[in-house]
Amino acid sequence: MKNQIFNSLGIAVLTLGIVSCSNNDDSTDNQIQNASLQEVVTNNSNNVIIQTYNTLNQRALALKNAIETLANDKTEANLNAAKTAWSATRVHWEQSEGFLYGPVDTEGIDPAMDTWPVDVEAMNNILNGSANITVQTLENNNEARGFHLIEFLLWGENGQKTATQITNRQADLLKAAAQDLQNNTQKLYNGWIPSSGNFVNNFLNPSPQAYPSYVNVLEEMTEGMIVIADEVANAKIEDPLNSEGSTPNAQLEESRFSNNSKTDFADNIRSIQNMYLGTYNGLGNGKGISVLVAAKNSTLDTKVKNAINASISAIEAIPNTFTDAIYNNRAAVTNAQVKVNELHTILKNELKPFILNNL
Amino acid sequence: MKNLVLFSLIAFCLLSCSNNDDYETIPEESLIDLSERIMAGGETTIFSTTSFAYSTPAPNLSNEYLAQHLRGDVEFESIFVTAPAEINSGLGPIFNNSSCISCHPRDGRASHPENLIARSGLLVRASLPGTNPNGGTIPVPGFGTQIQNQAIFNFVAEAQYQMLYEEFTETLADGTEVNLRKPKIQFINTYQAIPSDILTSVRIGPPVFGLGLIELIPEANLIAAQDLNDSNNDGIKGKLNYVWNSHTSQTEVGRFGWKANVSNLLIQCAGAYNDDMGITNPIFQTETGFGQSNGSDGLQDDPELPINRLEDVVLYTQTLAVPAPRNITATEVRKGAKIFETIDCSKCHTPKQQTGYSPIKALSYQTFYPYSDMLLHDMGEGLADNRPDFLANGREWKTRPLWGIGLTFVVNNHTNFLHDGRARNLTEAIMWHGGEAENAKQKFKNLKTEERNALLSFLNSL
Repeated sequence: MKNQIFNSLGIAVLTLGIVSCSNNDDSTDNQIQNASLQEVVTNNSNNVIIQTYNTLNQRALALKNAIETLANDKTEANLNAAKTAWSATRVHWEQSEGFLYGPVDTEGIDPAMDTWPVDVEAMNNILNGSANITVQTLENNNEARGFHLIEFLLWGENGQKTATQITNRQADLLKAAAQDLQNNTQKLYNGWIPSSGNFVNNFLNPSPQAYPSYVNVLEEMTEGMIVIADEVANAKIEDPLNSEGSTPNAQLEESRFSNNSKTDFADNIRSIQNMYLGTYNGLGNGKGISVLVAAKNSTLDTKVKNAINASISAIEAIPNTFTDAIYNNRAAVTNAQVKVNELHTILKNELKPFILNNL
Repeated sequence: MKNLVLFSLIAFCLLSCSNNDDYETIPEESLIDLSERIMAGGETTIFSTTSFAYSTPAPNLSNEYLAQHLRGDVEFESIFVTAPAEINSGLGPIFNNSSCISCHPRDGRASHPENLIARSGLLVRASLPGTNPNGGTIPVPGFGTQIQNQAIFNFVAEAQYQMLYEEFTETLADGTEVNLRKPKIQFINTYQAIPSDILTSVRIGPPVFGLGLIELIPEANLIAAQDLNDSNNDGIKGKLNYVWNSHTSQTEVGRFGWKANVSNLLIQCAGAYNDDMGITNPIFQTETGFGQSNGSDGLQDDPELPINRLEDVVLYTQTLAVPAPRNITATEVRKGAKIFETIDCSKCHTPKQQTGYSPIKALSYQTFYPYSDMLLHDMGEGLADNRPDFLANGREWKTRPLWGIGLTFVVNNHTNFLHDGRARNLTEAIMWHGGEAENAKQKFKNLKTEERNALLSFLNSL
């Protein structure tokens, strides 16, 4: 009962917060309500997607530096700094998963960066060998690289790793993996920007071969949001929560070594939010999909915004770690799953038809 | 219904844009009415112009089959790792790639890779001259019927790939030059000597939507479409491949693979797990490299994939939606469709097929438009791999379905076509047609510029 009161209070406060925020923005809202499809596509492409990849690449560079520092001096402080740098990089990767199209997919970067599960056997074979561990070692062993390999080595399988347990071979592998990860974040960023791969051109300048119109680009952006909502609810949460029917299985949890899963999931939803609101990390002019919806159907706009907020709140309200919660707080996990599924349904059954039929 | 209305609107807009391009060559009244072909996959059709156009479940699936499809979706993306492991155990020891999706990106078409050493959606089939007692290929001792170019850590791949290109130029009647490249595969770093009489053939992972419909075309329809002796004297024959199914121990009509050397999707998927990923399963229980010095992990963990996971993937490949064509009322597209007929493309890329009964109701008795007769045709020396596979000789290939082809760039960000991905666009792909398609190719070369553009607009509308 107490919980329910707290929850209602929380929701009330939260709602108030949202209302007052948007009240302040009335003038801005009116100004940007006329945003053209081109402006939304341009803002979301340049200021959300490309800037997310830009930050991701910068954070990966910082992670590489933190791991080099750790490898040279295996102190607890340096281990903690490396863990923090991993989490800081992870945020922007998860916030990019609302747009898993383009180079991340067509250049095979996703499996190279975020392969799962970790090939522990391959990793141990590499560590137990005597050959130099280089970036090339990892490029040839796709399942023993990327975020989760680094996570495994920094936290240990049970999250109990101490700095003194890091062997020299592990330090070598960490260095190679961090360099490899940053090579891929660089490739990803380069794949989009005009001065390099210029994938963004497909979005900014519709053409018969790629996207015939801005509506098609907005359909792509919406599909990306739908897919990640589905993935969070029906794979990332569902698989560990209800493996083989209804049995929890922590082995199926993606970021379980670092206990970062709740943050991963919330950032996935923020990825949807960023594309919807046209803002990212203090960047972006707010000309997101929301503006186009609000101009013609403010009820739907509010519905989408509320569903996004409810999803993030429900994920963050899961007590303790996700690993613990799938066994001991299953109702809270299920509630988060329900909320994300509700968001998924709204995006799929209401937002997408709106984009196709009303713009 | 809403989708159709929207579609008409879009089409109308495009139509009004292209009105300026009226050609004298084809009178308006003889243009083909494409409206019935909008349902490219019958009731499994979806309307999408995004990179998700190939990866959506058929919209008419029952809840039960949809749930299984979604489980299969997870399996299709599952990455396998070195055994022993808690999750997805059993990769290799030798393999070509570690998941289904890595060779069929976004359920679509793999590109012709620039880096042949890295993993890609390209692999090489191999055999020795002659046929085995079941009419199939003879494995190469020490290599089998596929060259696995990857291996788990501490194991050696059979070989690495290297590609040489012969480049040349063809000139069309309007003076347009088309640059063509013919790839020739070579092997480096082989783990043991390769026999000098080895026959090889390069393969690119093709799109995997709509396959359940193809699987259900009644055999009688396919048999009736054959023209083994070119009885109508149009220079085009068309024959079925009959292939050995080791699971049923029967000879069956071949439907899948670039040479139609596999009869159904269960064998196709199970074979891909075994040959491409090194994942043993109830259909193929022996590691692909069994008996080779680099081929056995020494673990008693077979089969590595249980039957229910295999069946989920099979159902997944049976029930992906087919994307609808776009702009079908545009004059340019309708003119292109007419040219597609007049220069004889449609004689092999036959637009229409039908399914028979299926326990999966969504696939039962559907009329659909794959643009393929599903038959083998001699495609000439240029495309020949000179590696026979059951009844398909070294010059014969199965007519590729063309549905969804205009979405290749949006889905996969490239336009590499043909069995080895050599063509860099549709024009190159057409220019590689020879043999029974030589006539059609010559007619294509002689099209006026605007006629050729109309034909390409039609293909891109699919």
